[in-house]
Amino acid sequence: MSIQKTQNITIKIDGKQVRVPEGSTVLQAARKADIYIPTLCYLDKLKNYGGCRLCIVEIKNTRGFPTACTTPVSQGMEVTTKSSELQELRQEILELVLSEHPFTCLICKDKENCADFMHTIRKVSITTGCNFCTNNGNCELQDLVDYLELKDVRFPITYRNIKPIKDNPFYELDYNLCVLCGRCVRICNEERYSEVLAFVQRGNSSIVGTAFGESQKDAGCEYCGACVDVCPTGSISEKMGQWVGVADKSIRTTCPFCSIACTMNINTKGNRIINVGPEPGKRTEPLQLCVRGKFVPGDITHHPDRIRKPLIKKDNKWIEVTWEKALKYSADNLEGYRGNRFGLIGSAQDSIENNYILQKFTCKVMRSNNVDLLSGYPNKTLLKKIHEFHSVFPPVQIDDILKAETIFIIGANCDISHPIIENRIRKSYKAGKLVIVANNHYNKTYNFSNKYVIYQPGKELSFLLLLLSELITRNKNKISKEISGFLKNFNIKKAVEDCGVSVKEIKDISASLLKSHNLIIMVGDNVLRTADNLSNFKTLLNLKLMMKKSARCQILFLLDEGNRYGATLAGMHPDYLGGFDEVDDKALINKWSDNWNTKLGNTGGVSADEMVNNISEDGITSMYVIGDIPAHTNLSGLEFFVQQNMFLTETSKYADVFLPLTGFTEVEGHAINIEGELKKINPVIHPLEGIHYTWEVISEIAGKMSEKGFNYKKTSDIFTEVKSFIDLKNSSAAKNQNKVLPVSLAVSGKTDKFPVSLIIEPNCFHYMGNILSALIPDMKVIREEGILCVSPELAGHLNIKDGDNVMLTTEFGKSKQRIKIMSDLIGKTAFFKPVWEHLYLFGKGLSLDRGYINVKIEKG
Amino acid sequence: MPGSTNTILEQNPSNDKGSLITILQEVQKEEGYISQEAIVKISRHLRISRSTIYGVATFYSQFRFNPPGRNSIKICLGTACHVQGGDFLLNALQLEIGIKPGETTEDRRFDLGRVACLGCCALAPVMMVNNNIHSRMSVIKLREVLSKYE
Repeated sequence: MSIQKTQNITIKIDGKQVRVPEGSTVLQAARKADIYIPTLCYLDKLKNYGGCRLCIVEIKNTRGFPTACTTPVSQGMEVTTKSSELQELRQEILELVLSEHPFTCLICKDKENCADFMHTIRKVSITTGCNFCTNNGNCELQDLVDYLELKDVRFPITYRNIKPIKDNPFYELDYNLCVLCGRCVRICNEERYSEVLAFVQRGNSSIVGTAFGESQKDAGCEYCGACVDVCPTGSISEKMGQWVGVADKSIRTTCPFCSIACTMNINTKGNRIINVGPEPGKRTEPLQLCVRGKFVPGDITHHPDRIRKPLIKKDNKWIEVTWEKALKYSADNLEGYRGNRFGLIGSAQDSIENNYILQKFTCKVMRSNNVDLLSGYPNKTLLKKIHEFHSVFPPVQIDDILKAETIFIIGANCDISHPIIENRIRKSYKAGKLVIVANNHYNKTYNFSNKYVIYQPGKELSFLLLLLSELITRNKNKISKEISGFLKNFNIKKAVEDCGVSVKEIKDISASLLKSHNLIIMVGDNVLRTADNLSNFKTLLNLKLMMKKSARCQILFLLDEGNRYGATLAGMHPDYLGGFDEVDDKALINKWSDNWNTKLGNTGGVSADEMVNNISEDGITSMYVIGDIPAHTNLSGLEFFVQQNMFLTETSKYADVFLPLTGFTEVEGHAINIEGELKKINPVIHPLEGIHYTWEVISEIAGKMSEKGFNYKKTSDIFTEVKSFIDLKNSSAAKNQNKVLPVSLAVSGKTDKFPVSLIIEPNCFHYMGNILSALIPDMKVIREEGILCVSPELAGHLNIKDGDNVMLTTEFGKSKQRIKIMSDLIGKTAFFKPVWEHLYLFGKGLSLDRGYINVKIEKG
Repeated sequence: MPGSTNTILEQNPSNDKGSLITILQEVQKEEGYISQEAIVKISRHLRISRSTIYGVATFYSQFRFNPPGRNSIKICLGTACHVQGGDFLLNALQLEIGIKPGETTEDRRFDLGRVACLGCCALAPVMMVNNNIHSRMSVIKLREVLSKYE
């Protein structure tokens, strides 16, 4: 199909010449020419709707008053947007719209003077006028009334008397204010595909709602907040920032929660975050976020439990001290733990700058390479492999997903971990692309997939090898010959039994993959967060080589936290310095020694997990932790432990010094996202009173330990240094990636002792290690963590029902759990969303690196 | 009749979203009403969200969302009946059996609906129970009429 060149068309709007591409609407042309046409239902980028009729215009030689948002431009068109007749018609339309919305305030002749008298009596439960409305000052109806100079509404006041819904997490719903513009319904169905909201009933009783009036949560709401962002009235209003008034500043920054690192807009007033959402007056084109990005930043930044003063533990009690004293105390103590006895754990949600400084501090000042991020990737070299891979094959851009012909998703729950990627998958599916999913249970992506296969938890490698062995029989060439050498001893029958996917399904998927001209393979946590991850990685690379030469095949590694790649690139890794320079490479160590004007040690460090496991008199004796980590009992063996965090947590019980920490809304910095793009983190507010920047704290401790090279004045000084030492663009060409890699053929079975496969959902609902559901009550409602879900088959086998208590036993421990039956599980499997306190069940260390475990579940 | 929704769904291809209303009509014919379970099943079959299906179904007055009672009462509120006090009759009836139009009593003895005209305006106000017309009704006669239906 040849690409047709779109032609530009010239039209005249209110006497002004505008040139727009063919196919544009009159409204788009008017916007381009900066001519205002009132709208209410219009949303940028969504299908034209033409519901509210407010954008009617006059077009020469056209009968009637067409709506600007649905009328395409044609050559020589002459449009009038403002005339007395149009204004009169629009006024009448607005009157009808307002007849069911509290309007007395809107048309009150004294409204200008009103605010001076009224602002003490807000916060009534029923909104009867603008001054009682959460959206006062940021309301599109107010704007329309002003533009149309509406002075009176001739219709009787109708108050629908619908009970406002106040028990919903994160936002309240008062449908008495709803004007049925349909924006929320459309964004929910056409942009987010959550498909929760719909118009129900008809005529006078029309309302936005759900089936049988069930709660939003029961209807499958994902709390992306898109409906909140677009609502032009106060009908859907965010609980945070209600009645605070209109924002005085809007700042764009980068979301740290997952590796997509979406751009977000944060509205503030004074030094306080009002909400995350569109700038005032720009509701028609909101940035799309997910529950974490939309609702969490304000809640954690202004959380009442935030610690703002440094604390030192004396006789098991926390004593508030000055920064000077706390830093002196820390420096004096840390002095005694230089060398391999010291370990530092940072956060992948922190900026490149902070992580660089932390790493420099550990290597240069503490003379230890025990520096790591709180991580779930067991194999320490995985990120370097991905780094090398991307230096040859640039990372997938999020919007490339829409261009792909076929999307193959393996072991990912994007609806939870990467909702914006899930959104692109859904869009692709709706656009008729082929979406194939392989996962260990049914998740929401099922509704947006053409093929869905279920493999046994933890059997990703068997599944991938089966695919590979099928592909080499279908696409015979030089490479397949080479690969078949590695697969000589691969027992297909055993692998099929092991992973539970039928040969027919494997053949079917292979055929579809080979047929595709543009394929994206998405690899999720289940493939990366497992001891097999390196084998999985190699197998995937071989899979890519097996695709037809002419076809485009990209692999998208769905890394977890916001700056996972950037922070590791900055050097937060026990085996690497900045830029993935190996610690055991003499030349590279010398390079960094010169960079930092010091003599660095060349023994590799240990990972976060090993640090905690190695706490003992002749192992690790001192630690510095940024954020929170699971409160492992080993931590009590530390001689000196500094925690720098926003909140006191379980882990703080073991700490000797507690230093306050800034959140991402308060700092400046950079992150590198899944697309390899360097994204700027902008300070939205000043750090809350009393809290210092991490780099300031670390530099000062280093200074007090008489170390040079930490004289930074501002964050950008650090960034300049990072840039001079590390190639943040990943432009160095790595070794040939078009090479077949040997694969291991590990096939491990279940033991009779632990016959059930328990799927562990990686908890991506944390900020710097602080579990969100523990901080934000509404998050608890959504997440339902710590409930053991079992498959219907298993429940039948054990003869248990919802709410029964069972004993969960793993090789590491046992625990009593209440169960819930989950119909998305197949076979003898169970599912668990752990928070830190449950992790002792899944391993000896921090145990974040497991996607599944074999367990025993018994009644009682 | 358990499974009848399943049978209906089997007869309608899952890729034809346009068959939603036909399916709803058939389900109502089979089961007497559109249950929550039926909507869940239709939603899975057609991959249309529950909310959207409910939205479509509530748009049409032909669909009901609770099981029909053993006896079906219809109060006429057409012009003649309205003038003759059909409104009073409806209010009194609502108090008597404790349900609103569109609902069914808990013991499933009655369900209640209102209609615009039953075509016998000369007998206004009228009330129809099952297929029997009760003419020139009044609040006083209400209990007596109801007692005939179990």
